[in-house]
Amino acid sequence: MLWLYLHFPHLLLDHIRRSSENTSALVIVEGSGQKVIQACPAARDLGVDANMRLKTAVSLAPELGIARADQQQETRILEDQARWLYRYAAHIVLVPPNGLLAEIGSLQRLYGGVPAVWQTVEDVLQKHQLTAWPGIGHTPLAARLIARNGKGTCTADKSHCLQTLGKMSLLAAEFDERTCTRLQRLGLSTLGEVFRLPPADMARRLSPETLAYIQKIQGSRPDPQTPWQPPHYFQQQADFVQDIEQSQGLLFPLQRILSELEKDLCWRQQDTDCLLLVLQHRHAEPTRLRIRTSGPEHRAEAFLSLISLRFDQQPLQAPVVSLRLTVKRFLGREAPGGQDLLGESQDLNEAWHTLISRLQARLGENALKQLAPQADHRPERAWIASGVRRTSRAMKTTANQLPQRPLWLLRGPQPLTEIPQAWFTGPERISGGWWDGQRVHRDYYIAQLNNGQLAWVFRDVQEGWFVHGWFG
Amino acid sequence: MSEPSYAELFCFSNFTFLTGASHPHELAQRAAELGYTALAITDACSVAGIPRAWAALKESPVKLITGSWFELDDAPPDACTPRFILLARTRKGYGQLCQLITTARRRAEKGQYQLFHDDMGTHVLDDCLCLWLPPSPAEANADQILACGEWLLLLFEHRLWIAAARTLEAGEEQQLARARWLSEHLRCPITAIGEVHMHRRERQPLQDVLAALRNHTSLENAGHCLFQNGERYLRPLPVLQRLFPEPWLEESLRIAQQCTFEPGSLRYEYPPDLVPKGETPAAYLKRLTREGEQQRYPAGTPMTVQALIRKELGLISEMKYEHYFLTIHDIVAFARSRGILCQGRGSAANSAVCYCLGITEVNPAQVDLLFERFISKDRNEPPDIDVDFEHERREEVIQYIYRRYSRERAALAATVIRYRPRSAIRDVGKALGFDPALVEQLLEGIDWRDKATNWRQQILDKRLTRNPKVADQFFTLVNTLLGFPRHLSQHVGGFVISSGPLAELVPVENAAMADRTVIQWDKDDLESLGLMKVDVLALGMLTAIRKALELISQQKDQPFRMQDIPQEDRATYNMLQKGDSIGVFQVESRAQINMLPRLKPETYYDLVIEVAIVRPGPIQGDMVHPYLRRKHGLEPVAYPNEAIRSVLERTLGVPIFQEQVIKLAMVAAGFTAGEADQLRRAMAAWKSHGDMTPFREKLINGMLARGHDADFAERLYLQICGFGGYGFPESHAASFALLVYVSAWLKRHYPAAFYCALLNSQPMGFYSPSQLLQDAKRHSVIALPADINSSQWEHTLQGVDHQLRLGLRIIRGFSASTAERLCQNRPETGYRSSAELRRLAGLNQREMELLAGANAMPAFAANRHQAYWQLLGHEKPTELFAAAEDDENYELETCNQLPAPTEGQNVLADYASQGLTLQRHPLALLREQGHLQFCLSAEQLKTTKAGIPVQVAGLVTGRQRPGSASGVTFVTLEDETGNVNVVVWLETARRQRKPLLTARLLHVKGILEREGEIVHVMAGKLSDLSHLIKTLPINSRDFH
Repeated sequence: MLWLYLHFPHLLLDHIRRSSENTSALVIVEGSGQKVIQACPAARDLGVDANMRLKTAVSLAPELGIARADQQQETRILEDQARWLYRYAAHIVLVPPNGLLAEIGSLQRLYGGVPAVWQTVEDVLQKHQLTAWPGIGHTPLAARLIARNGKGTCTADKSHCLQTLGKMSLLAAEFDERTCTRLQRLGLSTLGEVFRLPPADMARRLSPETLAYIQKIQGSRPDPQTPWQPPHYFQQQADFVQDIEQSQGLLFPLQRILSELEKDLCWRQQDTDCLLLVLQHRHAEPTRLRIRTSGPEHRAEAFLSLISLRFDQQPLQAPVVSLRLTVKRFLGREAPGGQDLLGESQDLNEAWHTLISRLQARLGENALKQLAPQADHRPERAWIASGVRRTSRAMKTTANQLPQRPLWLLRGPQPLTEIPQAWFTGPERISGGWWDGQRVHRDYYIAQLNNGQLAWVFRDVQEGWFVHGWFG
Repeated sequence: MSEPSYAELFCFSNFTFLTGASHPHELAQRAAELGYTALAITDACSVAGIPRAWAALKESPVKLITGSWFELDDAPPDACTPRFILLARTRKGYGQLCQLITTARRRAEKGQYQLFHDDMGTHVLDDCLCLWLPPSPAEANADQILACGEWLLLLFEHRLWIAAARTLEAGEEQQLARARWLSEHLRCPITAIGEVHMHRRERQPLQDVLAALRNHTSLENAGHCLFQNGERYLRPLPVLQRLFPEPWLEESLRIAQQCTFEPGSLRYEYPPDLVPKGETPAAYLKRLTREGEQQRYPAGTPMTVQALIRKELGLISEMKYEHYFLTIHDIVAFARSRGILCQGRGSAANSAVCYCLGITEVNPAQVDLLFERFISKDRNEPPDIDVDFEHERREEVIQYIYRRYSRERAALAATVIRYRPRSAIRDVGKALGFDPALVEQLLEGIDWRDKATNWRQQILDKRLTRNPKVADQFFTLVNTLLGFPRHLSQHVGGFVISSGPLAELVPVENAAMADRTVIQWDKDDLESLGLMKVDVLALGMLTAIRKALELISQQKDQPFRMQDIPQEDRATYNMLQKGDSIGVFQVESRAQINMLPRLKPETYYDLVIEVAIVRPGPIQGDMVHPYLRRKHGLEPVAYPNEAIRSVLERTLGVPIFQEQVIKLAMVAAGFTAGEADQLRRAMAAWKSHGDMTPFREKLINGMLARGHDADFAERLYLQICGFGGYGFPESHAASFALLVYVSAWLKRHYPAAFYCALLNSQPMGFYSPSQLLQDAKRHSVIALPADINSSQWEHTLQGVDHQLRLGLRIIRGFSASTAERLCQNRPETGYRSSAELRRLAGLNQREMELLAGANAMPAFAANRHQAYWQLLGHEKPTELFAAAEDDENYELETCNQLPAPTEGQNVLADYASQGLTLQRHPLALLREQGHLQFCLSAEQLKTTKAGIPVQVAGLVTGRQRPGSASGVTFVTLEDETGNVNVVVWLETARRQRKPLLTARLLHVKGILEREGEIVHVMAGKLSDLSHLIKTLPINSRDFH
């Protein structure tokens, strides 16, 4: 068996970079935000290196772009890579956070030798604008170590492989910290020197696990790997360091994702008629756009024109920090669209969803709203009409905790043109909202107007009087 | 209608953390402006805000009422959970309140409290008044509310009120109706309250921010966690009159009238336990002083000292401070009895009485120069004595205090942890919903030293928000939040001791540290109330001195004490004059080492000045150079008038000490004693929130009017600002200077004992063990490596020539108890094999590995690699009855595949295991290898001509950017011959940030400069050579 290992040294960085046209210095910082873990070439030119404290990095390069490492996100990107590699090799292993392993012994003949396989992989990587260090080895671990140390060469020669490994330092050989310290204290500095220790002594004096690790590298002990299975849906995400404010800016990353989708569909021999595009915002709820084609479709171009049409109709409600495209519904290329195999087994939820989709398609997405209370003292903000959700949230507040409010709240306050006949309750003072620029400072009263109507009126800071609602 | 009036009885200050949005003094001042009759500060289960409010109201007719707000953790049967305010009616009621708070606080975690309805029955509260805050109709039904009211009525008959607020919120009418109904049913009156959370309505935004933070959310999502409006402020009387029925307002006045307790009346008796039966405190103190006198002056007390003692005792007696002095004497006597070195400092500490009582070693007969020896009667401030103890043994003293006075009577003062710029920016950012990562980035980017930093611009630049209005709000909020208390922590060593239960004087709560309790007041609060505290502080140098004295006693075979050190020793001063002071107390920093050759101390008093002069005060006031010029006779010493001469004569007409500056304000600018005292307080508080500008005009005008020149006045003002927060008084410098002299004398005459003791007292001081050991070598001390067959846990002196044998404590990760086992079980012949070592000393694998890594078993391992090989593979526990000793195999197991370590490897391994090496310095190795071809060593620099270009290289052991030197970074490089001082100007630093900030081995091209014996290199080009020794774990003391 022969193994190919792809090590992506800065997967997240590449991923963000290829979704943006901007090329200024960028770093990835660890979860707690204290330490730089990846730095792009532009950042390295400014003296920023991996493992540097963010504090130091920022003082070296004040204009540094910063993205936070996210394990889930990395695994997702890695899976994206597994998907295309799967087109070439059947036995693929995911090695999070940044490695892929593929058995290529069986492929040599198919592609005409190791150099051809190597070339194919490099081509694809370049097209995807991703940096990966390949390594070939006779065991999974050998391939991994060679790849991760950037020592990969296009050869299937086992003795060459062992020679490369022998020169590796202990740190490069990825011994755990404890073993590494122990070996260092014995005065050993390369993997080759460790290979030379008597195996019995190694097991007794170091640990059986260390011996097993060495033997797995050398190939004298089996190292079984669990193969990866491709998912049953397509999903890709693009993340931006700087928020995208214009929908035009989203088309660039979408182009790449849609062409991936096209390839994915081709490879599956399937079409689709429904894409879900989710736009994440920094502060607001995500925007969910369901794009439906008129019939089964697989061309990136067709999807892109549909999406850009949609963008024209519906401007962005807030700057976008990331977008995710998902396709879960696949249609056989030959099968007639729309017909379920078992006929009318749709559940109620599905029926509800279909109804909403149809209404939205008829009336336009924005025409349909769902009402809900919102925790805010300002009357105009105490309720919300949001886009329709599939699951409606349960009401948490009970009636007696709610303040006394008119059922009919006017779209906006209207000047009070007469002196009311009678005053009932009041004043109730509402003051707040200074933080979002919608400051309110009012005294509310319930008053009866001359025509007998019961009005909810208020006086604002400028001493102006307004009607804000009507009681029944 | 009578004159409108009102007493506010519900008021949260910002000591109800994350709730109250105004400082106690702001509330107090506002209440006074509005003409309130009284103001109660009622923080949640706390009286922490009282002293500050009291201080602000001292001169005002507004009466301060002490109270506290509570919410119980459970409900009485069938009732709702009660919320109420307790007000202290008298001193007795105040004690009851404190006791209740203590109970609630002591059983909960730090910062929390827990109070159950049963507690209300078990605590006597008959001198407290209760204001009940009934819940809203939405929270509880009428039955539960009535049951709750009946329960309270049983506890507080005729002392219960129903509190009614007018916050103008939804549902208020029902709430008021409910209050009236309860009042009728319970036959108990209603009083008006304001539910005050802030002193002015303008604080509403901050109050909202705090509420959002308390609920761990942002303002945008806070919703109903925020109040509906900003009505919870101190409202003007006409507004209150419109809102409340007259009787309700009058009721508040009636309640206020009943509350007669006044915080200023608090006094605590020092424990009488110390005075023997039948003797008065004054007589006892006199007797102790007399006894001490006989010891101190066996040949008879000098007349001047006798007179001094008489005067002091008279003053002590007049002020009734006997117990205070006796308490400190008792603590010091305990330390003496245990052989713990200690030393008092502070104005009262340097008195003749304290010298006789053994509290200080500063002899009044010898040093009669001290400016202000004692408590001053007119300032009416409590005497201040700080006592430093050996840092390793201070805990014994603390435990003694707890034992002697019990936890009921002794507790630590609190330290109020306040919002600082970083925390304020972080929290306000959180509330405004800024991206935390961006906020962190902003924080990283702010140059805190750069006063001109325009935050608003930076916030916009960093795109935290695009809205300039939000940026303005952010700025205002951060500025207001600065200085707000966040929580109470424990003071480093300020003890409060009382004769009665402390909890009746001030509530006691838990500190973060287990078994530590703190009171709710900090040292400023205690001071403003005129309460005394005893500062029990830790000082590393005392530990080192005691250890050195012990080593010398062993050497001499007779006890050698601090008093046995000869005074004013020439050789010691000569050493200091050369700047040879690494390891010496207080004068070992780079700045001090540079100052020593300039100031050339010749006497004890010169050391007092030396200690005080390298401080922000004299430096910012530009007093250093004038003093040096006058000291060396380059400038005439002149005084504008006699009054000033009396103040400045000791320091040649240049103000150096804090006391002088204050006294100058009086004699040169005409400050009254009271104003001078205010100035002193402002200086002490300047760092946190004080403001010096009000004094500026007064000082400068006063001085000009008295004929001083404007320049001198301006400099004096700058010096006052510099003293702010770092005030260094002569009374402290005098005590410190004594330790400077003692430690310098030890270094000069017993270097081996001195360094050995310093190393045994780590961590302390300015230098790492590696730096200390290198300095020791330069003073001809021979150091030997740690060895399992020769070392103890501590470093020791061995042989007739007192060689310094490193102890096992130098090995990182090795524990004292293991080392003890190893030493106790060591055979006469020493350990012969690793197996024997493991078995006899009972060492585990980790400990064996640490020893091998330190190369500490030269007896049976050729080198550390082989030593290590021998240890591996023995991890199975030895059987209980292991093979008899003669079965043991002393043959060494060697492995031929292992290479022998090179010198470089050994050096690296030594650093990894011990942080230092006794082999050659890494720089010596690099030099030998030809890496540092054109570099001069530190030794060579001393004889190199000034002004020529040079190259140097060394390990970076320090980077400093002192606040007093504008923009200059000082880098200390260490090579095999000593230290090189490199000066990097701001411009150079800016252009070469990377090597400056990150290099561990730095190469510098620059110009050699010389000033007397001080040599430094003005840096030009910096290059990072760290790759040459990348794995060396050298710690640098970075600036932050």
